[in-house]
Amino acid sequence: MDLKALKKQESKRKISKGYMWALFCAVFWGIWYLPGTVVWVLNPFDEMYGAIAETSGDGVSLVVTAVLITAFNALTVMLALMLWNGTLGKFGELVRTMKEFHPCSKWFFLASIFGGPMAILGSFIAMGFIGGAFAAVAALLYPVVGSILAYYWYGEKISKRAAIGIGVIIVGGVTIFGGGLLTELSSGNVQWIGYLGGLMAAAGWGIEGAIAGKGLDIAEPDVGLTLRFVGENIIWWIIIVPVLALVGYPMYSFAFQAFEPLTLLVLIFAGITFGFCYVCWYKSFPLIGVGRGQGIGNLYGLCAIIFIFLFFGDVPQWTILVGGTLCVIGSFVMFTEDTSELETLRGE
Amino acid sequence: MGNRPIKFRILELFLDEKEHWNYEVVSKVQGEYNMQGNYNRDSINFDIIELASGGMLKDLEQKVDSEGIYKKDFLLHKYVITDFGKVRGSDACLRYV
Repeated sequence: MDLKALKKQESKRKISKGYMWALFCAVFWGIWYLPGTVVWVLNPFDEMYGAIAETSGDGVSLVVTAVLITAFNALTVMLALMLWNGTLGKFGELVRTMKEFHPCSKWFFLASIFGGPMAILGSFIAMGFIGGAFAAVAALLYPVVGSILAYYWYGEKISKRAAIGIGVIIVGGVTIFGGGLLTELSSGNVQWIGYLGGLMAAAGWGIEGAIAGKGLDIAEPDVGLTLRFVGENIIWWIIIVPVLALVGYPMYSFAFQAFEPLTLLVLIFAGITFGFCYVCWYKSFPLIGVGRGQGIGNLYGLCAIIFIFLFFGDVPQWTILVGGTLCVIGSFVMFTEDTSELETLRGE
Repeated sequence: MGNRPIKFRILELFLDEKEHWNYEVVSKVQGEYNMQGNYNRDSINFDIIELASGGMLKDLEQKVDSEGIYKKDFLLHKYVITDFGKVRGSDACLRYV
C-alpha cells in the first residue's frame, strides 16, 4: 500500500475511533437513566424523601434527597473508574497527574464542580420531579453550551456541517422538551423545579466539557476523568453532605441505610454505566473535538427513551418521537462529515 | 524513572523545537517510565496522536515502516511542536529551552 493510501486509512481510523467512543458514551449514558430513575423508589431514598418532606416540604426534600443520591452516584462511579485504571495499569499516571495541580489537575477539579453539583444533581432532580425521559432530553442542549465555549475560549474549529448537525439536534431536543412542558402548562401544574434541574444539567455538562478539554490537552483521558470524580466526591462527601447534616438533615442515618443489597446493586449499576459513559465521552474529545464528541454523545437522549420504554413500558409522546428522530438526523449530519477536514482540531 | 505525567514529558521532549519521529519519542519514554511491552508502546503513541490532534504537535512527514523498527507496515510519523504546543508546554511549567 502506498503512503498516501496508508495515511488516509490511518486518519480515517482515528476519526472513526473517536466517533465510536462517542457512540458508546451515548448508549451507556442512556442506560444510566434506568438506575437513576429506579433509585428514587428504593429505600432509604424513598423514606428519606418522605421524612424530610414532612418537616421541610416537598421541594426541599427532593433537593436534599437528590444530593444524597448524587453523592452515592459519584462514589460508585469513582470506584468503577479506579477499577478501570487499575486494569489499564494507570495508577502511576494517576498519581503523577494529580500532583500537577496548577498546570493540569485543577481543570478536572473545576470541571467536577460543573459536572457534579450542577449537571448530575440537576439530572437527578429532573428525574425525581418529572421523570427519566424528561431528564434525559432536557440535557440535550448541552453541546450548544460546550461548543460555543470551546470556540470562544480556545478556538476550537466548528465546521459548517458540524454547526448544522448541532442545530438539528437542538431543534430535536426542544421538540421533546417542549412537548411535555406544553402538556403540563395546559393542565396548569408545572413542576418548575424539575425543569430547573433539566436546565442545570444542560448548562453544567456543556461547561464541564469545555473546561475538561483544557486539562485533557495535556493529560490521559482515563486519568483525567478519575480525577474529575475524585473532585466530585470531595465536594459531596467532605463539603455538602456534612454541611447539610450540620444544618440538621438526617444525611448520615439515611446514608448508612443505603447498604442493603438491592439499593447497592442499583447504585453500582448506575456507577458502572455512568463511569463508562464518561470514559467514552472523554476519550472521544481528543480525537474528534468537544463539539462533535458531545454532538454524537447526544444520541443518549434517544437511547434513554428506548431503554425507558423497554424496561418501564412508558410509551413516549409523539413530540418525543419526532424530536428523537431529529436528534438522530443531526448526529448523522455530523457523522458523515468529510474526514480530511478533521486532521487537526484547532485553527493555526 | 519519569515523575511527571507522560504527556508533559512528551511535550518537553519536543520543546527543543527539533523534529522527532514518533518511534524515537515512544522508545525514550518507555525507557524513562519503565513501560515495556506493546501495550505501553501503543498507549504512549496514542498520547502523541492526542497531542497532535489537539494542535500541540504538527505531523510533518510520514513513511511506511517497511523494516519493522516500530510496527511493520504501519505509518511512522515525524512531528514538530507548534506555537500552541509551546504555550501549553510552558503553562505546564516545563523548561522552555
